[in-house]
Amino acid sequence: MKQRMWWPVVVLAVAVGSAACGSATSNDNPNSGAGAGKLVVWDWKSSDKNAQNFVAKAKADFAKKHPGVTVEFVAQPFDNYYTLLGAAIQAGKGPDVMLFNGGGQIRDRASALLALDEYVAQDKNRLAGWDAFSKDGKIYAAPITLQGHPTYYNKSVYKQAGLDAEKPPATWDALLSTCATIKAKTTLPCFSLGNKEGYGIQFWMSGMGSGILTPAEYDNWIAGKRDWNSANVKTIFATWKQANDAGLNTAGPNSTAMFMDQFTKFEGGKAAMVFGLMSDVGGWHEMNPILGADNVGVMLAPMVTPGAVPSLAYDGGVGYGVAKWTKDPSLAADLVRSLTSTDALTAYAADAGAIASDKTVTIAGGGPAAAAITAAIPGGKPALHVALSAKTQDVMGRVSQQLLSGSITVEDAVSQLAAADQTG
Amino acid sequence: MGDARLSRWLVAVPMTALALATIYPMVFTTNIAMKTQREYIFNRFSPSRSVQWDNVTTAWTSGDMAQYFINSLIVVGAAVALLLLLGSMAGFALSHLRFRGSRALFLGCLAALFIPFQVIMVPLARTMADGGLIDTYPGLVLAYVAQFLPFTIYLMTSYYSGIPGEIIDAARIDGSSFYGVYRRIMVPLGLPALLSIGILDALFCWNDVLIALLMMPSAEHRTLMVGVTTLRGQYSNDIPTFAAGVLIAAVPVMMAYLIFQRQIADAVTAGATKG
Amino acid sequence: MDAGRTGGATAHVAPPVAQAATRRLRSDRLAPYVLVAPAVLVIVLLRLWPLLLGVNFSFTGDGERNGTSVGLSNYVELFRDPLFRTALRNVGLLVLLLPVAVAIPGLLATFIFLRVPGHRFFRTVYFFPAVLSPVIIGAIFNLLLGADGPLNAALETVGLGPVDWLGEPKLAIFAVVGVHIWATFGMALVVFLSGFATLDTTLLDAARSDGASTRQVIWHVIMPGLSRTIQFVFVTTMIGMLTSMFGLLFVMTSGGPGGSTYLPEYYIWTQQGQMNRPALASAASTVLFLVMLVIGLAQIAILRRGLRED
Repeated sequence: MKQRMWWPVVVLAVAVGSAACGSATSNDNPNSGAGAGKLVVWDWKSSDKNAQNFVAKAKADFAKKHPGVTVEFVAQPFDNYYTLLGAAIQAGKGPDVMLFNGGGQIRDRASALLALDEYVAQDKNRLAGWDAFSKDGKIYAAPITLQGHPTYYNKSVYKQAGLDAEKPPATWDALLSTCATIKAKTTLPCFSLGNKEGYGIQFWMSGMGSGILTPAEYDNWIAGKRDWNSANVKTIFATWKQANDAGLNTAGPNSTAMFMDQFTKFEGGKAAMVFGLMSDVGGWHEMNPILGADNVGVMLAPMVTPGAVPSLAYDGGVGYGVAKWTKDPSLAADLVRSLTSTDALTAYAADAGAIASDKTVTIAGGGPAAAAITAAIPGGKPALHVALSAKTQDVMGRVSQQLLSGSITVEDAVSQLAAADQTG
Repeated sequence: MGDARLSRWLVAVPMTALALATIYPMVFTTNIAMKTQREYIFNRFSPSRSVQWDNVTTAWTSGDMAQYFINSLIVVGAAVALLLLLGSMAGFALSHLRFRGSRALFLGCLAALFIPFQVIMVPLARTMADGGLIDTYPGLVLAYVAQFLPFTIYLMTSYYSGIPGEIIDAARIDGSSFYGVYRRIMVPLGLPALLSIGILDALFCWNDVLIALLMMPSAEHRTLMVGVTTLRGQYSNDIPTFAAGVLIAAVPVMMAYLIFQRQIADAVTAGATKG
Repeated sequence: MDAGRTGGATAHVAPPVAQAATRRLRSDRLAPYVLVAPAVLVIVLLRLWPLLLGVNFSFTGDGERNGTSVGLSNYVELFRDPLFRTALRNVGLLVLLLPVAVAIPGLLATFIFLRVPGHRFFRTVYFFPAVLSPVIIGAIFNLLLGADGPLNAALETVGLGPVDWLGEPKLAIFAVVGVHIWATFGMALVVFLSGFATLDTTLLDAARSDGASTRQVIWHVIMPGLSRTIQFVFVTTMIGMLTSMFGLLFVMTSGGPGGSTYLPEYYIWTQQGQMNRPALASAASTVLFLVMLVIGLAQIAILRRGLRED
């Protein structure tokens, strides 16, 4: 009796289950977050004190063009940002305008974004850093900052160790011996490293890469031709492991978060060097007040491979893109253009110490570190890790942790990455 | 006999050590929350020099903890109210009213109990999104009700089964409808269970993070536990304030435990023994 | 009422009181359904239906292939993904560690029942971590277990050297499980104690007066007497390990280092969010569900046989 009752239920369940007719991501469209006369912007910056002027100027610029439209900024926590964005994309509804990091994160989600080429044509010459927000020749976001990976070093630590603070090491061997001297004279480790989120390897790759790959290999990498099994690429990971094995890093990199522990440690004088950023967080703007502007030095990658040409790795940093489901594309695009207006970017650069994507905006103050970075920008090249897909970056984060703990070999690591890069 | 006594005291030693290990983490956190930033940098783990609440006020005001706290209160309050209402109604029906399908319903309820949230989270998110319920208070409340209703019904049903049917029959003979029985008998008689189960449900909802992360993405509607996950990034430079934020989130639960310890334990064991 | 006049048929004109009674009878017949309806609605719509929907999704595609049927390719991809395989391996590890997670509260409950000195204090204190949110626990233990945290500081003074508890791939999962057990053993303890309360003390006294040692008493009297409780604790602890470690993973390790602390529930979370692969996540959910079914049923079968043999 009971059995007879359950069978139809089971059959129905199996039928619905295997029908495979549903879709995990919602397809229906204009139920977007904003009503008429309102635009919603998601980012992780707008709640910062440093960004208030920027937001105000952008809103003012937009209000000149579209006086009746309200603009609402919603700041999300960065750790969850892409998960939340993912949920919004699946639901097919969410913000009209969204902030993105350049590189894999935006390229992976390009299908949910509006191509902006026609709207931003006028800005193409004024702004730099478009590459990081382009996919297949189309632009999906307008950059507001440039982001790069200079290597910072603490000049007073160098002096304490009896080294010349104006001559940071220029080769790999010089780096190793510098670190040994620092360890001996000050007991400090060379690098402050936080790899818990898997970003440590990204910064290593981009910070050291120009000294490891030949110029030809570097350009090929950016263009998409990556031979993970080549000797120099393996060297990137081999030196990563070697540095850790030689005790060059602060303790417990795998359980230290890069944001913000890695930078906090460097700024607290607990390490001599750190791979940092060019922007408000983890960059000269944050370090100068704590360490003293004259103590913050910037160095290019040491030359590991003969024939490599060390350069500053930089690209588009963050930018605002427009969602496909937005009700009025040109309205949203205008907001993006206001966010990248010279006024707004000048405010942002000044307050947050970021390097604006607007070539006409100059940095005042900033000390020797900012000056060194600005000088290196013309000769700079896009960052190696930004060219990778989010999936490859994810795998890279994990294998980098395994390399540090000695669970896998470099060969194993690069073969996993080669596989991920192909399918990614 | 002396041996037994000795061995009992011997056992007490590791048990005391374990008890200390159980309390220590909270003590540790409170200690750090009491330190000033300077004191922390110089002397991280030693007992704090003074008891100062500045960090707590900072976390409460500038850390938005106050807003998150209120959000949690609203959501948990509404969810528990619904859970108890629906749970007691269904519990009454399943325990005393003989009707076709009651056994199937009860078994279905048990089955639903064993479906963990992770297994349904993707399609549920989709269903909620289609219904426009993402990032709304009702949406999260519904999600919590759906999550804890099977458990609540199960407990209410077992509890109500313990009420003798004669009381209900007597009321019926006096002319009361079933709804009247529910209002005038089951609810008052069920108060101890409603209290225990209500507190347990409140605890589960208050402590949840996965459902809240999924259903309430925006910063203004965030619940307290989700707020705690963002604290570390915010106060990475300021561990004492971070510890204070953690304390703020923990204190309500600790208070509830001290006051309602008995009820919580009762509800937990009710599930185990009456199964 | 006057059966004779109408020939004893059931239908007769009833006086007002009886009419009201008939009306009430009808609404009363509906009452059970009305009382359960809202609950059933919620559970079916938001618990059972999504379960089927999830299985449905698992056979569809992501991204450009949204809504199209892709057969078993999600499942194939799952089992090819080293990350998911690690997650499954960790599930196996949890199953192996399960007896430990059950024995600890069981043993403690036994001692408390046997009135070890301080038992009332222990009872209160041991349950306390169970009411804390995993997020809070994770935040605290992040500080405690950090490479430069107090645990390592204490170990250093004893000369055992600092250990990167959360950063060593081989250790991290054990650290997280350890914290989980710390956080949840109180629940199991309370359940065991309630089981003890229903134990027949006469058997216990008889065994004792027969001169049985404590170990014999535990094995031959207490354990069989508590068999249902033990089963319950096993099953619920397993479910807890498989489904409520999310908070800890999220706060303490994010699945790392090197993906070594991944569990299926965390995999589902990252795939549907960060990696934008909800259909793949649905496939993982289905696998998780089946794994739990199998493990749960196997446990019940094994335990029932094991405890009955005593």
